[in-house]
Amino acid sequence: MKGFLQIHDPLKPKGHAVGIDLGTTNSLVAAVVSGTPGCLAADEGDARLLPSVVHYAQTGGVVVGARAVELLPQFPTDTIKSVKRFMGKSLGDVETKKLGAYRFVEGAGAVRFQVAGGQPVTPIEVSGEILRALKRRAEAHFAGKVEQAVITVPAYFDDAQRQATRDAGRLAGLEVLRLLNEPTAAALAYGLDKGVQGTYAVYDLGGGTFDVSILELVDGVFQVKSVGGDSALGGDDFDRAIAERALAAFSLDAPTPGEVARLLQLARAAKERLTDAEQTTLELDGRVFAFSRADFDGWIQPLLQKTGVAVRRALKDAGHQASDVKGVVLVGGSTRVPAVRTFVEALFGQRPLSDIDPDQVVALGAAIQADLLTNADRQDEVLLLDVIPLSLGLETMGGVVEKLIPRNSAIPIAQAQVFTTFQDAQTGMDVHVVQGERELVNDNRSLARFRLSGIPPMAAGMGRVQVTFSVDADGILSVKAKEQTTGVEQAITVKPTHGLSDEEVEQMLLDSIEHGEADIQRRLLVEQQVEAQRVLSDARKQLSENGDLLSPDERLAFEQGIAGLEALAASGTDHSTLKNAIHDLDERARPFVERIMNRAIAKAAVGHSIQSF
Amino acid sequence: MNHFEVFGLAPVLELDVKALEQRHRALSLELHPDRLVAADAKARLSALEKTAALNDAFKVLKDPVRRAFYVLRLKGVDLESEGGAARAAMPMAFLEEVMERRERLEALKARGELAQARALADDVAREQQAALERAKAALTSDDVAEATHQLGRVRYYARFIEEVEAFEEEASS
Repeated sequence: MKGFLQIHDPLKPKGHAVGIDLGTTNSLVAAVVSGTPGCLAADEGDARLLPSVVHYAQTGGVVVGARAVELLPQFPTDTIKSVKRFMGKSLGDVETKKLGAYRFVEGAGAVRFQVAGGQPVTPIEVSGEILRALKRRAEAHFAGKVEQAVITVPAYFDDAQRQATRDAGRLAGLEVLRLLNEPTAAALAYGLDKGVQGTYAVYDLGGGTFDVSILELVDGVFQVKSVGGDSALGGDDFDRAIAERALAAFSLDAPTPGEVARLLQLARAAKERLTDAEQTTLELDGRVFAFSRADFDGWIQPLLQKTGVAVRRALKDAGHQASDVKGVVLVGGSTRVPAVRTFVEALFGQRPLSDIDPDQVVALGAAIQADLLTNADRQDEVLLLDVIPLSLGLETMGGVVEKLIPRNSAIPIAQAQVFTTFQDAQTGMDVHVVQGERELVNDNRSLARFRLSGIPPMAAGMGRVQVTFSVDADGILSVKAKEQTTGVEQAITVKPTHGLSDEEVEQMLLDSIEHGEADIQRRLLVEQQVEAQRVLSDARKQLSENGDLLSPDERLAFEQGIAGLEALAASGTDHSTLKNAIHDLDERARPFVERIMNRAIAKAAVGHSIQSF
Repeated sequence: MNHFEVFGLAPVLELDVKALEQRHRALSLELHPDRLVAADAKARLSALEKTAALNDAFKVLKDPVRRAFYVLRLKGVDLESEGGAARAAMPMAFLEEVMERRERLEALKARGELAQARALADDVAREQQAALERAKAALTSDDVAEATHQLGRVRYYARFIEEVEAFEEEASS
């Protein structure tokens, strides 16, 4: 629990403020430049999406993005994807272990992955690496410091998941101006773009999360009326639905983590092909699984129905019917699936809007909010009023929850509650805060337990402690207490049930600052080491398969080249030396590669002629 | 400032929720810290506290049940805090009635009878509404004892309905 009253100092000069969409599958960074929001491209090429995949190398370095995706099949347990699904979770959470074949470290608190090259890492640190990569991208773009960001979260994220995200931002060296709900961000991007008024619904189906928000846009106020969703439902589940059928069809009962990782990638590609095609096939090691779009639509129906339940509840909570909705905004890559569009259209009885790229719309909205929160010239333009997605409650007798702040209450909000002693001379009492809609404490998310102590001994019912529960504009809870008879303020030490303590985050932050400069050098080196390994493994493979194409002298020279690069890669030299060595080996291999190509073409031609006869 | 004063209202049991929403928007535009981008930390902190209080007041006043409890609280009886049930001192016959309903609900939950549980909740909601009307009449005529009793009933009914909603939530997830 972080202080409710932490406020950024507006007088401290800052660089550009950016908006970050920290997605399950892909992440983006955007900024408002000369009044127009735009997503920033990577330094090389024009890719805006950064795959949310982080690889931890043997050498202790970290690779983020497309290169990490390439390493995923080879290092499935050292390469963390969809880390967002682990945010704010502990191993005790029922679903956690199903989310990926990682090497989890047993223990309480945040999930920890055992990865190559060092200490286990938490989802907060993994997300921090993604944010750091985006921060670097923005800094390269502006050729200056970037220290402030609005980071988006699924509206349905609970307190623990929000805190984890804010901590990840801090680890990446960012002042988190606001955690903005993704559907709200999307609505902001649409609203300011199109000047809309009225009631809107945002249907946001990402890689791993589903959100629905009902908003009213009136006179420059964007007011979220209700939110709903499922923080563990998304396109990943579509991939899994395909992969499960393929596994069954291949009779693969005990697939290796590597096979699962490859199969999921293949499933995802097949799903994407079905956006345009009616039929597709998935091929794993020579085995072929063919299926149609209609098959796929059938498999994901139960998942779509789940989103329908959440939409109807959100409408009810907002006091609206589907027919009141003036427009439906589609957000998230998974809304490209034709069955999703058909489903949403039927649900609301109207064709949804999607004229802003659904992959970019959230980041663009976040950039707008970052600008609104830092640019005094724009502060009068629009005000966002958001809500808390899940009720906050207290444990009462018998393990039953008493709701304190109901879901969909506008935030920030502070509510005081008086606790009275129930025994003579009672000097302490335990408070257990939970989040969720279920009746029993155990079915809800446990946020914090703390003990109010130091109450002066009095008759039962006389000791009164006023506890103030505050939810800030990020949707994060903090607590303070005051003993009413003596007026003594109590500092409450809240032990987070999930995630990291403030001290742990501080320590990680210190460590990362200390290693800041070394980190950059190390990252560059790791990138080259990874590249070297790829080149080496290619070279060895070609040598064993096509080595007969080389004369003994050529072969010797090539083998020496391989051994040289191998030694250099292991020596921990600097990155530019290694880069040159990789280039050298590539050059040396060129005549060899040409001969291999010729052989392959000849082979294909032979195969062709046999078939023709 | 009490919740009504935050909105510039006298304590009332009936109010126009649409107008309240409009006032909430206008006050948010006036008070919200996000409107003070260039102000110092102290001014923003004060804006944050005011907005937090505004939203607490809004949450209470927009809901007729919470609003009635709050009017009673202004008259010195707090039924919503811990131990509120004891203060309402509900008669035995009523508690037995609640117990019996609760047992029926438990049985329906055990069998997964969603529709019947909903029907039970709808019955209770009607009784809750009747008790709320009686409570409002008592509050208007300043009969605090009767208002406390009726809102005590409302409190039990509300918990019951919440329990059914939690069951529905569970069944749909």
